[in-house]
Amino acid sequence: MFFIKKIFLFFKRELKLFFRNIVSIFSNILFFFLSIFIFVFALGADEQNLKSIGLGIIWSLLVLSSTLSLRKFYEEDFNNGVLVIIHMRGISYELIVFLKILSHFLFVQVPFLISIPVASLLFNLPIYEVYNLIFTFIIGSLILSCLSSMSASMNLLNKANFSIGGIIVLLFSVPVIIFSVGINEVDSDFKSLINILIGMALIFLGISPWASAAFIKLALRNK
Amino acid sequence: MLLINNLSFFRDDNIIFENLNLSLGNGQITQIRGKNGSGKTTFLKVILNILSSNTGEIIWEGQNVKKNIFKFYNEITYIADHNTSSRELSILDNIKFWKGLSSSNLSDDKIFSLLETFNLKKYLNTEIMYLSSGEVKKLELLRIVLEQKKIWVLDEPYNHLDDSSAEILNQTFVDHTNNNGIILFASHYNPLISKLEILDFN
Amino acid sequence: MFGFLINPSKFNKFADIILKPLILLCSVILIAGLILVYLSPLDYQQGLTVKIMYIHVPSAWLALLTYSIMTIYSVIGIAFKMPFSFIVNKAVAPIGAVFTLICLISGSLWGKPIWGTWWVWDARLTSVAILLLIYLIIIFLDKTFENKEVREKTTAIFILIGSVNLPIIKFSVDWWNTLHQPASVSKLSSPSIDISMLQPLLVMTIAFSLIGLIIAILRIKAEILIRKNR
Repeated sequence: MFFIKKIFLFFKRELKLFFRNIVSIFSNILFFFLSIFIFVFALGADEQNLKSIGLGIIWSLLVLSSTLSLRKFYEEDFNNGVLVIIHMRGISYELIVFLKILSHFLFVQVPFLISIPVASLLFNLPIYEVYNLIFTFIIGSLILSCLSSMSASMNLLNKANFSIGGIIVLLFSVPVIIFSVGINEVDSDFKSLINILIGMALIFLGISPWASAAFIKLALRNK
Repeated sequence: MLLINNLSFFRDDNIIFENLNLSLGNGQITQIRGKNGSGKTTFLKVILNILSSNTGEIIWEGQNVKKNIFKFYNEITYIADHNTSSRELSILDNIKFWKGLSSSNLSDDKIFSLLETFNLKKYLNTEIMYLSSGEVKKLELLRIVLEQKKIWVLDEPYNHLDDSSAEILNQTFVDHTNNNGIILFASHYNPLISKLEILDFN
Repeated sequence: MFGFLINPSKFNKFADIILKPLILLCSVILIAGLILVYLSPLDYQQGLTVKIMYIHVPSAWLALLTYSIMTIYSVIGIAFKMPFSFIVNKAVAPIGAVFTLICLISGSLWGKPIWGTWWVWDARLTSVAILLLIYLIIIFLDKTFENKEVREKTTAIFILIGSVNLPIIKFSVDWWNTLHQPASVSKLSSPSIDISMLQPLLVMTIAFSLIGLIIAILRIKAEILIRKNR
């Protein structure tokens, strides 16, 4: 009973922090839209051309924007020792990571959902592509949250080389993009690709708490 | 009764401390004294199992703490030498979080009177980032009373405190030892506590 | 008996014995391989360009082999806390990166006359390019952290996570329809490559692996010395 209450408290705190930080999350969304504008300016406003590459652009910019919030993932809680205190109250690091991934998914990635219909409108995407995009983004962003967790925990003690965390997320997001964008190809089988994505999300949800917790413990030992 | 047997810790082949024996009985208050970089904080972290020792064991109530670490943690309040409160949350939010997390049943009136003695009550809904470092430290120290644990482990509790607050802290320590609590703290300050025992790290 | 694979001082002793014969053997095999390549028949379609294969294929195999060795040593290093495995990881990563780079460049040079393009985004080529990126990240990670334990373990865990790329490279030609030709040597029952081409290819592979081994031994010895004197 106490345990569930603790998890509930954790989410309440994350929710409060989310409302305090809401500006930074909307800044990410703004970054996303501005990059779309940059793309359109760079490629020219040819409607057919944009329509055919719109989905790919939206997906790659979503991945890029999600690397922006990478350093916020654990850094503050790690530096001020909240992670240790929460752990000392009976929650293992693996579970903390799992909860953090869920809260990152809910409070950082899900707000991006409101930007997707607007972005699709800008590219005149056909309606079934928008549905597919929203559906794949919900699953894909869960994978991105797992990847962000691993990359952020890997770079907790990295004070000099900021870009490598983003590089790692981009590297492992390659399969996510392949399968998410592949859904819209004419001869692709929707069901099997969605199953692959869900399978990947489950695998990453299994791996990343273990890996991130190992990195966090490593960083705590050498803080 | 917290027993520390033959504890050693090395970092990259440098000996931080070696073959350390210590027993902390109920109602005992121990200060770790030492120069900067003498390994006070490291010692506290080894006791809390954040760092694992190279040799030796820590025994709490006849059982090695590594066997059931959460049972041991459930008896401990740890105040680090930096601020643990979240900068973007208010004092009230932080207190609620700590209180819920440690499943303490301290009444709200008691908490408010504590805030009153530390002169913090007027900032109840102010975010931590607008407070001075002394005020944040006082809020941190509130946790030792708030969490109602038996063992208090504190790292540099006197930093940033003015004389009157340090006096209140000393009084709290004495009260806790009278209630059979165990206190272990690292500091280079010399507090005026009558039954203080000192572990010298120089 | 195999203590030299995990123990630095035994490795040093073993390396001192084996290094000179190894260099001799390597130069003999390399020269023999080059002669065999020179004598090997021309392809009836590709002409002279087929000889790029004798560099391209061995370096591709060795790029994969190097990564597999690093994966094994990472498992050993994390599971059994053996410092020697981190030495190996650090010493071997640039060698693997160079092999991958040779493979990509020679493949690109080969692709231009045959496929008419330097680069295509097909599954095999892309996954090997990602292997190069992974190698580079491993090298960068090793330079990023100040703390030794963090540096070594982070790199090792990253190597483990990155090893998912290996089966993707291996089976990319089977899973996706690609321009790159499927495996032709490793089909044990009936290799679809002619024996007159297989011979120089295998000799060159042995020569390449000996070169890699010699550089690896030298780099590991240097790394052991650096750590001893720190």
